Amino acid sequence: MRLRIAEITVLSPGIRKFTLEPLAGLLPAAGAGAHLVFDIPGATRVHKNAYSLIGGPQARTQYEIIVRRVEPSRGGSAWLHEHARIGDILEAKTPQNLFPLAHLAKKHLLLSAGIGITPFLAFARVMRTPFEWHHCSRAEDSAAFAALLPPGPQVTLHTSRNTLNLAAVLGTQPLGTHLYVCGPELFNETVQTMARALGWPESKIHTESFASAAGGAPFIVHLARSGQRLEVAADQTLLEAIEAAGIAAPYLCRGGACGACELPLLQGTPEHRDHVLSPEQRAANKSLMVCVSRARTPDLVLDF
Amino acid sequence: MNKSRPIYAPFQFDPSGARHLLVTDQPDPPADLNTNVQTLTARTHTADAILAFLPPHLATQTTGLRLYAIGSEAFVWDVNAIALAAGMGAGEVHLTRAGPLIRRVYCTHCQTMADDVATTITQCPGCGATLEVRDHFSRHHRAFMGVQVDAEAPGEIPAPEGFRS
Repeated sequence: MRLRIAEITVLSPGIRKFTLEPLAGLLPAAGAGAHLVFDIPGATRVHKNAYSLIGGPQARTQYEIIVRRVEPSRGGSAWLHEHARIGDILEAKTPQNLFPLAHLAKKHLLLSAGIGITPFLAFARVMRTPFEWHHCSRAEDSAAFAALLPPGPQVTLHTSRNTLNLAAVLGTQPLGTHLYVCGPELFNETVQTMARALGWPESKIHTESFASAAGGAPFIVHLARSGQRLEVAADQTLLEAIEAAGIAAPYLCRGGACGACELPLLQGTPEHRDHVLSPEQRAANKSLMVCVSRARTPDLVLDF
Repeated sequence: MNKSRPIYAPFQFDPSGARHLLVTDQPDPPADLNTNVQTLTARTHTADAILAFLPPHLATQTTGLRLYAIGSEAFVWDVNAIALAAGMGAGEVHLTRAGPLIRRVYCTHCQTMADDVATTITQCPGCGATLEVRDHFSRHHRAFMGVQVDAEAPGEIPAPEGFRS
């Protein structure tokens, strides 16, 4: 679907809010936690970046996203910060929700850091269950986030590493609490590791990360069915390399969370970066998630 | 294989939990039980006393608890319902079937529940119908379905047998 940039708001030097409107009619309702994948023009190729919608399901006349300029940017967030203008039209896929609220929860515990605030802004609009939200921010972004966070005693903004006592927060939640984690990879891992150590079951830990598609060493991928040999550049994902060759591969989240882009592996050893495959599945060496995973061997051969 | 029939894993301590509570309608907990597990057994508590204890107790508990229920199907599913109402879910509650092969039976004609039924043919205490106890277990009713056995051929009643599972 096509969306026109209706408004650009500078929230901090590195963070901008984009308001997007449909060219005609109403937008599809997107549940709290949903994201959009955009085609963003780049110098050499189109970037596909995923951004959470912050408006909740009532937002039918416009979508809002918040974009941090990633340093170093692979192109998507830099284009949005430097080149996007009001009136520009962006191509996007229909919203997908891979990060929904658990409806049976008695309480929601939201832990976010940095730009990970975005899905929870949508959560907060639909919240009918008690919740507790801790957001962590670098000092230079704290004013921007303070203006976005809903008011109330259940929301706390932490601008120093020392004020959020994770063990105390995770260790004192009533039965029936669901935990949602959204932030940089290290933050997500730290919170989840602590939660597991305190006995949280996997069924109550929910996470989303769009940051894991970052690059790595270049490698070669061979597509066995079409006989193609593709180079995956250091700042490119395997999925992007396949798409750059004009081949449509399956995908949804582009963040290693949904499992839609799993492709069978014939040769080589992947560097798995997804959140889908179990340790047993990784050990079987039969498939990989091409949106985030890379190669440990110089070549990979895919049955695709 | 009857798909409505829950499959129970043998009792196993779940090391992912931070605190542990085990309740059973049997006299003894499993042998070699981890000493961190708080236990309530039939030696000190009736099943009804355990079921009355749980709701207010769980309301005071924090995430990280594992609850183990061991006993008759009726007992473990009653415990499960209380745990769900308290907000516990997958991975937090472990049910193990133990003790004599008795069933709670739900009369599909008058909706009366009969506990501790030991044979495949039983009289409904509500409407008096002679019921065949099916292997169909309803998680909603937390009971096995009992259906009048001679509805189509009045008077044709097979000999009662004990349950095999």
